[in-house]
Amino acid sequence: MIAYLCAIGVIALIYCLLALGLNLQFGLTRLVNFGVVAFFAVGAYTSGLLSLQGVPLALCFVAAGVLSGLLALPIGLLSLRLRDDYLAIVTLGFSEAVRISIQQESWLTKGVQGLPGLPKLFAAWGPVSDVATFATLLALVALVSWGTVRLTRSPFGRLLKAIGDDEAALSALGKDPAWFKVQVFMLGAALAGVAGAFYAHFITFITPEQFIPLITFYVWMGLVMGGAGTVRGAVFGSLLLMVFLEGSRFAKDWVPGVSEVGMASLRLAAVGLALILVTLYRPNGLFGGPSK
Amino acid sequence: MTWIAFANLLINGLIEGLVVALPALAMTLVMGVNRFPNAATGDFLTTGAYAAVAVQMLGGWPLWAAALASMAATAVVSAGSYTLIFRKLAGRPMVSSMLAAIGLGFLLRSLISFFAGHDQRTFDLPLVRAWNFGGVRLLPTDVAIAGIAVLCLLVVFVLIYKTSFGRQLRAVADSADLARASGIRAGGLMLSLWVLVGALSAIGGVLLGMKAIVSPEMGWESLIPAFAAMVLGGIGSPVGAVLGALLLCVAQELAVPLLGPSYKLVLSFVVLALVLLLRPAGIMGRVQRVR
Repeated sequence: MIAYLCAIGVIALIYCLLALGLNLQFGLTRLVNFGVVAFFAVGAYTSGLLSLQGVPLALCFVAAGVLSGLLALPIGLLSLRLRDDYLAIVTLGFSEAVRISIQQESWLTKGVQGLPGLPKLFAAWGPVSDVATFATLLALVALVSWGTVRLTRSPFGRLLKAIGDDEAALSALGKDPAWFKVQVFMLGAALAGVAGAFYAHFITFITPEQFIPLITFYVWMGLVMGGAGTVRGAVFGSLLLMVFLEGSRFAKDWVPGVSEVGMASLRLAAVGLALILVTLYRPNGLFGGPSK
Repeated sequence: MTWIAFANLLINGLIEGLVVALPALAMTLVMGVNRFPNAATGDFLTTGAYAAVAVQMLGGWPLWAAALASMAATAVVSAGSYTLIFRKLAGRPMVSSMLAAIGLGFLLRSLISFFAGHDQRTFDLPLVRAWNFGGVRLLPTDVAIAGIAVLCLLVVFVLIYKTSFGRQLRAVADSADLARASGIRAGGLMLSLWVLVGALSAIGGVLLGMKAIVSPEMGWESLIPAFAAMVLGGIGSPVGAVLGALLLCVAQELAVPLLGPSYKLVLSFVVLALVLLLRPAGIMGRVQRVR
């Protein structure tokens, strides 16, 4: 039971980290990133591959963040020229391109077979290693949340909000929003990369199949349900998402005669319905949240 | 590469392009008028293909009759989704409509896979031998696919450019306010547009299923190519969408000997990014405000 709760807790915090990253990009700066999973995947594979070469895990995590952040640079630069609808599809296409590349370049990634046997974080601590992972992630999420709140209140944060609200007015005031947008995009992507590293070393087995666009829309669903633009929204939304994902697992016991595959379909249907209903009736999230 | 191999790839690319042109056109119509990229377009295709499969299985009907029934069914789904979802999101930020469209796509795809399973399906088609012109091979099925696609494109172009429905549609696309001021009723017009989009997607799905296989993911996989075709041709330009689809698919086929078939989608993405970077208005498009 403790192990189960711990596992759910770790996954919930990983989604939390992803949602906080997306909150920086979309919630604050209105950058529509439909390719969250690409940076998550690159982080997971970077850290996984390095760790298999015997690189210390701490270094692997840093590399995961840095590489995912750097990968966001060209997309961030592209985003400067795109309206949000184009950016949405470009990032979605980017995430599929990344997934297919991971699948095809098996000399590096072992392709569809995936990477088994990744070292666990705090493996030396034996039975409490998962608890330690949970605690580390919790500390990181708390740090990022605190940092985001600080950021929002700083002049830099006000600038980001202003970019999201009215970029033209900002340019008229003589500020150049371009570089800030790129920075925020890279920062959010780096967070997703670190989340990917945590995922890789918690699950210890990664395959390209784990990085489908659905993951991106889980994160979006969490953020939008909680209320985009606030830390509270990102955190609560991710927890709600977890209740939803885990709850549907238990729901299988109540819905007799539905196969495992059928249940997966129903879960996807529920995600779709939730995305529709939230955008229709709760654009500011279930908890209200300040309207923008 | 010999000229024969080249010709075969070219022919295949052109036929695929004609098939991709249908969803690209469906997307461009919605983009031009309702101003958001309908990310559920691909899943409308899947809906159409499965509706036709279902009709064929139920009644043992010929494919053309199944396709007509599937057009009607998908048109209902499409018009229904406009009435229940997208109409209410008009005037909200574009990302709301897009998220809802993604959600709708998930919903359609999962309902299909719930009832029909994940197994690949095929249409009940007679097996035919390819014609061989000294090495240049041509499948009769492919010729039929190309013919039907061209016919559908012609019908849509006549509707858009030669009828009052099309004139009103273009008026709304140019300026919704001006159109309303000159007495165009948007409600019925929008519903007709979405009926047309649904029917067009259904045919696209059936043709895609005839060319390859029918699976719950088939439409979703054509989303990025259709979008790339639309952008390549110029957003909101119906002729551009068709040209874009042909260009993109020919390029994809010609790249297969170099990159292998798995990288087709990656190539779509690269084309998309390059076009947006170098020529955001596309081949046929007018310059739009890009912030």
